[in-house]
Amino acid sequence: MKSSRNSTAGVMVFLALLLALLLPTRSYRHWVEFGPQQQVITQNPKMGVHTRLTDEVEPWKIQRTLEMVRQIGAPWIVEYFLWAAHEPQRGVYDWSHADLVIDHAVNQGLTVVARLGYVPEWARPPRTNHLYLDATGYDDFARFAAAFAEHFRGRVKQIIIWNEPNLSQEWGFRPVDPAGYTQLLCRVYPAVKAANPDVQILAGALAPTLAPPGSEWGLNDLDYLQQMYDAGAAPCFDILAAHAYGWTFSPDDPPSADAVNFRRVELLRDIMVRNGDGTKQVMITEGGWNDHPRWTKAVRPAQRLEYTLRAYEKALQDWPWVDNLVMWAFRYPRPTGTYQDYYTFVGGDFQPKPIYLETQAYAEGLRSQSSQP
Amino acid sequence: MTHRRWATVVVLILGLLSGILLLRQTILGGGDRTWARIQQTGVWRVGMDPSFPPFENLDGVTGLPAGFDVDLARAIAARWGVRAEFVGVGFDQLMDAVVANRVDSAISALTVAPHRTEEMRFSEPYIEAGMVLAVPETSQLRPALEMAVGRSDAAAMLEAAQVLAGRRVAAEWGSEGDALARRLQARVNGDLRLVLRHATDDALRAVLAGEADAAIVDAISLALFGGDGGSPLLAVGQPLRSDPYAIVVPKHAPELLRQVNEALAALRDDGTLAEIKARWLRPQER
Repeated sequence: MKSSRNSTAGVMVFLALLLALLLPTRSYRHWVEFGPQQQVITQNPKMGVHTRLTDEVEPWKIQRTLEMVRQIGAPWIVEYFLWAAHEPQRGVYDWSHADLVIDHAVNQGLTVVARLGYVPEWARPPRTNHLYLDATGYDDFARFAAAFAEHFRGRVKQIIIWNEPNLSQEWGFRPVDPAGYTQLLCRVYPAVKAANPDVQILAGALAPTLAPPGSEWGLNDLDYLQQMYDAGAAPCFDILAAHAYGWTFSPDDPPSADAVNFRRVELLRDIMVRNGDGTKQVMITEGGWNDHPRWTKAVRPAQRLEYTLRAYEKALQDWPWVDNLVMWAFRYPRPTGTYQDYYTFVGGDFQPKPIYLETQAYAEGLRSQSSQP
Repeated sequence: MTHRRWATVVVLILGLLSGILLLRQTILGGGDRTWARIQQTGVWRVGMDPSFPPFENLDGVTGLPAGFDVDLARAIAARWGVRAEFVGVGFDQLMDAVVANRVDSAISALTVAPHRTEEMRFSEPYIEAGMVLAVPETSQLRPALEMAVGRSDAAAMLEAAQVLAGRRVAAEWGSEGDALARRLQARVNGDLRLVLRHATDDALRAVLAGEADAAIVDAISLALFGGDGGSPLLAVGQPLRSDPYAIVVPKHAPELLRQVNEALAALRDDGTLAEIKARWLRPQER
């Protein structure tokens, strides 16, 4: 009898210890204080950066990232929210990480544009990859997007549907399908509007590419957008999301159908106008320059700096049809060890790069007093 | 079963496993299939992206790889009595090519990536490419800076900043050198003037022209800087941020890693590494 009591006590102690170990992981939201409501002070309200908090698990790092975004003077962020993470089983939602990110962003006075994608296993056929979604899953995705819009009512007002569907690798390694993407868009649009009519749907987020029709890699963004219109996409989105990378070219280089440069977005705008969609705005949800010393599409650090600031200014002064310019990418949780690290504004250790400090000086209107050559 | 019998069974199993491991090591050359294959075929497959002179490039006349890393690979291979076979791989895929055993090693001005050490191994460094403080040979700041950055740690940054207080430091605008110069500036509460230029060479020229007292640039750019008379600027002390180049080998190739490190040490000792450095990292005609 005594032995049995001892065993029971032992089990109880073990369970208590186990609970103590598990509790912090369930209540991590309380590890950092939100602090008073902040606001972004900037001379350019179109400035934005794409954060990469999807796989950032430590709340203080999420907070620090968004604090630094506010301090750089960028009122907009784009962040990726994984369908697979937030709906691990059909109809079972887990918004804990997304709540953490969005609440901290809102607390810092930032406007969040939410990019949705990444298909859970339960929503796709076996042995397909996480970007594969066929027509049988469109309603599932629409239901998820609607649930997201409803849950984040008042906190998120723009949702991007998919990313770069004009690339085969972003379309589940299948031939790209503008009509199929349009079909997806037209399932999502009414579902989201029914759940939260304040949310605007962003379509496209097309990769700037020169891939000709029939290419195994994808289809150039200009043809793809026209084919979206041909398939009836116009009533199924409110804003066009565009990607504007400059590669090795200045932000003032003229646009051309056979060149990938920053002003290529003007050609997308022309297509919108030609299709009677000229009253809609564009959001540049990715873009920028890279200063990797070896990548063939990179520029020197000084060029990256000049081009970035000029691009922000161009969006403000020359493009009234553009709501924001969101540069890729603010910070990675850890180094990628590739050229991607040379897109960032701060290091993994939160050390600001010169481009961060110069962009901050620009947003504060101090550019003329800064240390530029 | 008694405890004694259990012990006997455990000892027997351990003995059997040890025998299998020993046999495997004997057959496969120290358990390192990559090294065994290099020995067997006489070919060392070296991955590189020949687009980064003077470390690796395609020779304009022969169309063959040429450069510091090419000569280094050949010197190592010669010590082993094998031939270095160069395999062109894009820079961003080089490490993955090693992990996937598409090549036996990668030598391509690759810096050590601590976050990838679970997947691959890095040799001892063969050259330092990090950020250094450069001053004229005759600079009066040299002795104090040598003392300050004689070691590589956070205190060195503070001491360097104190020596440079009230002075002018040049760097390429937006570069890592610029970032470090701003950190030095912050440590002396702004009492350090930044002299920023659009290119690394222009930052170094600012020092030569007397527009700056020192420059922060990468060690390779400094080595390549100069004219007919050679570089009149010298790096002082240790790098402010170390960034050495190393050879990448597969994780499961301990013997190859040992052989690479031994060869590098030997090439350093017999002066071959210095010769290669002198051949490829001499000041360029501008």
